[in-house]
Amino acid sequence: MFQLPKGNPLFENLAVAKLKLTDVVTKLANGSFTGYASFSFPDATGILVFESGKLASTILLPVQGPALNDFEAMTTLADLMAGSATGTLDVYRLSMDLTMCVHALLQGKALYRSQELALIDVKTLLERVKDERMNGCLRIYTDEKSAMIFYKDGSPLGFFHDGAQDIDTSPGESQQLAQDPRAKLDLYTTVSADELMAHDLLDVINVPKIWDAAVARQQAEMERLNRELADKDRMQSLNLVNSLENQVRAIYVDYVGNVGRGIIDKELTVAGGNSCLLDEAQADQLLAALERAAKLLISQKKIAEMKEKVTALLTQARA
Amino acid sequence: MELVLEQLQGIPTIYVIQLLFWLLAGLISFIFSLGNARIWTSISVGFFLILISQFYLLNKLIQTPTTTAFSYIIGTVAIMLITHGFLDYYVFCRTFEISGRKETVYLTTVLLLALSWVFLIINPEPSMFTVRNIKMVENAIWVFLTIINLELIRKIYYAIRDSSIAKAFICFGVVFLLIFLWKGSELYLQVFQWDRLWGNIAFKLDLDQVGAHLDLKLDDSDAYWRRISFARHVFDYAGALAAIAVSGTFAYLYRLLK
Repeated sequence: MFQLPKGNPLFENLAVAKLKLTDVVTKLANGSFTGYASFSFPDATGILVFESGKLASTILLPVQGPALNDFEAMTTLADLMAGSATGTLDVYRLSMDLTMCVHALLQGKALYRSQELALIDVKTLLERVKDERMNGCLRIYTDEKSAMIFYKDGSPLGFFHDGAQDIDTSPGESQQLAQDPRAKLDLYTTVSADELMAHDLLDVINVPKIWDAAVARQQAEMERLNRELADKDRMQSLNLVNSLENQVRAIYVDYVGNVGRGIIDKELTVAGGNSCLLDEAQADQLLAALERAAKLLISQKKIAEMKEKVTALLTQARA
Repeated sequence: MELVLEQLQGIPTIYVIQLLFWLLAGLISFIFSLGNARIWTSISVGFFLILISQFYLLNKLIQTPTTTAFSYIIGTVAIMLITHGFLDYYVFCRTFEISGRKETVYLTTVLLLALSWVFLIINPEPSMFTVRNIKMVENAIWVFLTIINLELIRKIYYAIRDSSIAKAFICFGVVFLLIFLWKGSELYLQVFQWDRLWGNIAFKLDLDQVGAHLDLKLDDSDAYWRRISFARHVFDYAGALAAIAVSGTFAYLYRLLK
């Protein structure tokens, strides 16, 4: 993910988990905001570009996989927001021209893409930009660095490179990067800012519905996860209590003999199942019943030993 | 005191030995009943009652037809209690259910004996025939229930054979085998009128004369004196051995359950 100029930051590092997409979009739209809002998540970054409160473009750039635009991007962004506990929101105000260039970079028409700089005549290309009075962004990059030149009507608006906070008026970094033999070039163009303002994605995309649907999906997912977690807990608890029952049974049968199996089964049934082993009072009652039956079969001394072992086991399990 | 000693001297030695061992068995079983589970209470109180019922051996000291008849009824209650206890134990082995309270066992036993005493005193004083009939009924019930108990003990043993108490049930099996011989031999003698009570009746009624007058042989004991003698020996020794076996069994049981 390349960096964008930060212009005038309105908000930075707002926790997305506390925000609603509808509120963010409405606030930016009603405030005639110009610039972009960047939603950062561990797996993706979503960018909403506004020109005078009109949503010019929506893009979602996943860490892996192709970028998503417009409706798909908004839907996925809503899903990410509704489900994220760690995402952050940064909102940067830019000039209208620069916003147009950002839009070009994100969703403009690609005249060149991943073009090796060494293979083209840069001078001719820049003359073409000027002659055709292009609006857009020329991006020069290597695997490690990137720099951008923003154009309006074929004239450079400014220069921007990784690590910078805002656009620069001198092409220093861009020129340096252009001399790198591994450098590549992208050239994106777009319509003018005025034309861009003629379209508003908010007329096409029903953000509240998308958001409500995302929240509902998230709630359903949370419920499913909670159910799965509860099932898992129940299974773990069941396994624990079954294992405990088997251990208690083994101790009792060891002292009382095989007839002890039947006695345990009967007393557990009376106690309402093996879950009573985890409840101190119920377990005491069960132990008293087992002792009562054992009095007919074994000595008091052995009963005391057996009780001691079972009590230690249950105490350990409850702990 | 002199009278007591005189009367005791008149009791055959084997009965004195029997009485001593029943005294020992009675004491051990009663003490055992106090500190153990309810089911053992029925069994041990039953065996304790045998001691009471054996007081008829001292009937020269307390000789009335009513007390003698009552001692026989106590014997009947004894085997019923013992059987009830073993039946409960068997039910426990099959269903693992334990019901009832020790106090109920004690109270029911006292109530049964009291009712039996009332039954005896509201009716005419038992004649020699009645006393003998009651003794026969007692022996018949003992023989029948002893067989039932042997079967119950066999089933209980197989249900709990890997428990430490299982060997005690083998001892109980031996006890009931001896009791079967003891009570069975007396019943055999009674059925054929070769018993001592019938001998007393025959002597008092002078049945030899009556038979001679009617030209009937009312006493055939001379003809069968060998088997009568054998049955009497079985009765005497099996009774003594049963008392010893009961004492030993309860002592063993006490050790196993201590």
